[in-house]
Amino acid sequence: MLTFFSDTDCDITPKECAQYGIKLISMPYTVDDKVIYPYVDWQEFDAHAFYDMLRRGTMPTTSAMSEEFYVKTFEPEFAAGNDILYAHFSSGTSNTFTIMDMAVKKLLEKYPGRKFWHVDTLGISALAYNVVLEVADLVKAGKTGDEIVEWAKTEVPKFPMYFFADDLKFFRRSGRVSGLAATMGGLIGIRPIIHLNDEGKMVSIGKETGRAKAIARLVQYVQDLGDDVKGHRVVIGHSDCPDIAAEAERQLKAIYGDDLRVVTTVVNPTIGSHCGPNGLGICFHAIHR
Amino acid sequence: MSQTINSTLYSDMLRQGAASLYKDKTVVNDLNVFPIPDGDTGDNMYMTLKAGENAAKGNSLGDIAHEAAQGMLMGARGNSGVILSRIFAGLAKGLEGRDSADAATFASAMRSAVKEAYGAIPVPVEGTIITVLREGAEGAKGNSLESYFDSLLEAMQTSLDHTPDKLDVLKQAGVVDSGGAGLLCIFRGMNEALHGIVSEEEAAPQAAAAAPALDLSKFTEDSVLEFGYCTEFLLRLTRAKTDIEHFDEKELIDWLEAHGESVVAFRDGTIFKVHVHTFTPGEILNHCQQYGEFLTLKIENMALQHHQESNKNNASFHKPKEKYGIVTVAAGEGLIASFKEIGADVVIPGGQTMNPSTQDFIQAFESINADTILVFPNNSNIKMAAEQAAGLYKDADVRVLPSTTIGEGYYAIASADRDCPDAEEVIEGAKSIMESVATGMVSRAIRDAEGDGVKVVEGDFVGYQGKSILSDSPSRKEAATALLERMGSAGRDVMLVFTGEAVPADEAEALQSELTTRYPNLEIMFNRGLQPIYDYIFVLC
Repeated sequence: MLTFFSDTDCDITPKECAQYGIKLISMPYTVDDKVIYPYVDWQEFDAHAFYDMLRRGTMPTTSAMSEEFYVKTFEPEFAAGNDILYAHFSSGTSNTFTIMDMAVKKLLEKYPGRKFWHVDTLGISALAYNVVLEVADLVKAGKTGDEIVEWAKTEVPKFPMYFFADDLKFFRRSGRVSGLAATMGGLIGIRPIIHLNDEGKMVSIGKETGRAKAIARLVQYVQDLGDDVKGHRVVIGHSDCPDIAAEAERQLKAIYGDDLRVVTTVVNPTIGSHCGPNGLGICFHAIHR
Repeated sequence: MSQTINSTLYSDMLRQGAASLYKDKTVVNDLNVFPIPDGDTGDNMYMTLKAGENAAKGNSLGDIAHEAAQGMLMGARGNSGVILSRIFAGLAKGLEGRDSADAATFASAMRSAVKEAYGAIPVPVEGTIITVLREGAEGAKGNSLESYFDSLLEAMQTSLDHTPDKLDVLKQAGVVDSGGAGLLCIFRGMNEALHGIVSEEEAAPQAAAAAPALDLSKFTEDSVLEFGYCTEFLLRLTRAKTDIEHFDEKELIDWLEAHGESVVAFRDGTIFKVHVHTFTPGEILNHCQQYGEFLTLKIENMALQHHQESNKNNASFHKPKEKYGIVTVAAGEGLIASFKEIGADVVIPGGQTMNPSTQDFIQAFESINADTILVFPNNSNIKMAAEQAAGLYKDADVRVLPSTTIGEGYYAIASADRDCPDAEEVIEGAKSIMESVATGMVSRAIRDAEGDGVKVVEGDFVGYQGKSILSDSPSRKEAATALLERMGSAGRDVMLVFTGEAVPADEAEALQSELTTRYPNLEIMFNRGLQPIYDYIFVLC
């Protein structure tokens, strides 16, 4: 048997996990020294309450998981004779996967017959979500772990995500975006446009003045780089700005038609701790990232 | 009447010059080409001259003139104040080394003043204070001081009367140049002193004019001391009390830090300067008096001042050195807070009707520890004082950027990349963003006027951009929406709005909702600026 794992940093919800047969790993965030595990410490993500807390000035933090955590998560599967496929958020944004690799190595030594495949989505939020759903489709279609890993090698680099954030203090504090100028542009409506590169790292690649222009630029990327856009999902991720996400969807459908498969997700709180409220990202299938 | 000017007489001339200007200060202020309260030329010149008069100490005429000029240099406010300070610097040059001056010497000093004043302005504009000075000096004749001053005043008056012929804006507004008028007032007063007339102290002393009045109602019979006392003093170390050579200022600073907060203390020669927040100022004073005697002393209950800016008191030497420091000027609690939020290190309280002095800028620079200090004056009438301060300050590379509006300064500061290693790149970036910003304002008209096809009625609300009047309406909201329409808001991407202290919250909300509907593609951000005079400041980018 193959047990399929994903994690909450990929925006996937327990309801969707049940639908696709995914086991969900909860990636925690910390508010006021209290470590909170999504869908463990609460059942429904109240995005508005969470992002309003950030708007009022709270700055949550996040932390990597321990080796023990991964052993506890994966060992029961190996012990039961199952193999594991884990589609996870970008290793380029966290060192948690170095720790996971050590845990998996030990487990595989302990359970020599078992197999562990992982798909590094090289993404977070909407991008990771899009790739996880693609993998879920493949699992459903009966593809093997090896086949899925092969698929990932060529296809993951074809899922770009371009996004902007409203308030840069979150990204600045997290230090996870390179090329971000040390400005207070968010307060004057200047938004850096950021993308996830081939290593799954966030890079600032320009800026736009005003939200309308920022949305237009994201949509333009879909047009410029898109490849078989309609043959895949277009995932729009937002951090508590549904109106802006709806506007992006309206613009995309005006270009590609109403049958464009647009899926909207709300950026999970752990990733949201780094990008802050009122951010928008679009992930689509493209010639390259 | 005296045939020569000596040190005492020159002091009297400065004093009477200030008294004369004080008397007509309001008249000078009202010579305003724009129907909006702005550029209080009379106040600026008066405060500048008073700073000179207060500093005028010395034995000889040359010394007094020099010290007065130095005082004015530091006290200069507004462009007219800066030019006035240069006029007196020129006079001081002409009087250098002299114990007294006769008519010929004073005439020569006046020529030196003309040269200095023209040299201070990159592009001298005729029809202003410098014209009145120059034409006065050129027209003044006579071998006696009496005849020289009579002809000087006559020539100045003629020149002033003709300023509207030289400058269209004056003609359109139907006024003479305010700086020239202020200068004539000053020289009239100086002439009175020559005739032995020296007034009693004018009604409002300099200190009252310079320092914002404290609101004593903020600490009542029922108040509890919450913020302590802001205690500042200069202590002269004395030989009678301490071994000056071996005085350990570090030990005293440590003691102050243990007994108070926000300590800023340093030694300059035998003067020890202290700023400390304490609940028991007596304890601090008694301790420090062991080492010397006080030169000056100021203690204020911080409940009265806690809302005021205390930038000047924050010492630079406690802070690690930064690549950039940013100084700007703004009025209004909310606006000042917004400037701090976007990264201004010091926001000097001030603006159109309260121009900071050169000294205010220098104090701001002193509170910053940075390689490069970027200064955003946000007003064309404040730029010269900032530049004068930049020229005098040696501990950092101070660069004054030509921001003439709140919007330009705000955008440039918010988008300045503090990590950029190249200051020139930051400055060029700031200049370029300033060019892309348009600032419009709504204020109440102080008189009838007509300009740019808009008829302005006194008491109406006027919307304007730079010096162009774009709307007028008895309704503030309508003046605002009409202004924004004429500013081409539909073609812009972002609009920042700072609402003034006079604007009620419900009006701001109604306007925000109306603008959001009218300009769906515009990102609109409202902030409570709480600034005086400008009911709305709109920044379009």
